[in-house]
Amino acid sequence: MANAREIQSRIKSVQDTMKITNAMYMISSSKMKKAKKILEDTEPYFYNMQGAIARILRHVPDIQHPFFSVRHLVPTRERKTGIIVVTGDKGMAGAYNHNITKLTDEFMEKTPGYHRLYVLGMTGRQYYEKKNADVDGSFRYTVQKPTMHRARLISEEIVRAFLERELDEVHIVYTQMQNAAVMEAVDMQLLPLKKTSFSPFQIPVQAPQEEIEMYPSADVVLDTMIPNYLTGVIYGCLVEAYASENNARMTAMQASTDSAKKMLQELSIQYNRARQAAITQEITEVISGAKAQKRK
Amino acid sequence: MESTFGLEIYASNKLFFSGRARSLTVPVEDGEKAFLAHHANLIAAIVPGEMRYEDADGNKMVVAVSSGFVEMINNRGKIFCLTVERPEEIDVRRAQEAKERAEEQLRQKQSIQEYRMSQLALARAMTRLRVTKEL
Repeated sequence: MANAREIQSRIKSVQDTMKITNAMYMISSSKMKKAKKILEDTEPYFYNMQGAIARILRHVPDIQHPFFSVRHLVPTRERKTGIIVVTGDKGMAGAYNHNITKLTDEFMEKTPGYHRLYVLGMTGRQYYEKKNADVDGSFRYTVQKPTMHRARLISEEIVRAFLERELDEVHIVYTQMQNAAVMEAVDMQLLPLKKTSFSPFQIPVQAPQEEIEMYPSADVVLDTMIPNYLTGVIYGCLVEAYASENNARMTAMQASTDSAKKMLQELSIQYNRARQAAITQEITEVISGAKAQKRK
Repeated sequence: MESTFGLEIYASNKLFFSGRARSLTVPVEDGEKAFLAHHANLIAAIVPGEMRYEDADGNKMVVAVSSGFVEMINNRGKIFCLTVERPEEIDVRRAQEAKERAEEQLRQKQSIQEYRMSQLALARAMTRLRVTKEL
């Protein structure tokens, strides 16, 4: 058995680590609350905007617009896919970063053609730079404190790349938060937009079609609407990923605080035993010493 | 016949206004467009600028909006803009700085994309400043 001093220094080190994990737990829980609040604030804008686009598409069914073009003419082998990967800036969040990179890798294996990665967050960037994937170097945004401004810069960049045919498809891989316990890495297609995803149910033929005038023209309206919509989607994804990251970190840190507590308990039992053994031994030594003296 | 219409103004971070309104004026590409009750169904793109509306009690409001769109369908209006700000929410100094920065950038040689971005930034900054002037 280790001696009492060794156990004591081990207890000290576990206690110090527990202080850190406990502090990280509290920080990430407050960050997550903030992120959830932001997420709730953006939801009305987001859902109503989706509804509005669905309505336009319903009333103008045969609309031709570059954002909706699937580009059938590009063969699958030559398709250029852009993937926005939302990871965290640091680890200590359980499987959060790993799940994202795993899903991205799977996606890249599944789809043939050329892939270009837009990585958000330091851990993902380091991972893909080590793997020598094509990572866009100018795309250096942090995932801390998502802002509308950052979402706008990202969406401007991908819209430009899409329209200039640098990319034929754009996906985003981020972590969705279904509830406080369940988080899942998901892959969502941003561009080209799918008409079906806006209107899930079939419109009956007899449904009265209202006449809606588009001012100045349908194209111009969609031209401003869709980048705005994408900005909104990206912002929503960033906020959700941020909330998930902090939730993951919170759970991980709570687990490690708990196991630190358990370790401390075991160590303190061990320490007491060692201390008692030492005391017993000392008493035996003193008594036997005294006895030896008496016999003289 | 009552002369109000339902109006909902959505900014990306909140529901800015929801209620009945008497009139609405939005900035569009070639100037401004005004809506009164029972306007024909219309969807229009909004450019950064000054938006005015009058609610059912006759309170006139002036706000700064960035790009987005308005839909007016069946006497119900919905506005979606990335930002909608009341004059008192605007940080004048920040807007002034943004304006100077944008002007500075416009003077330099830029790609077309950068030029458009600076132009939009300038438009947003100038709107913010204009709206706060009447404060």
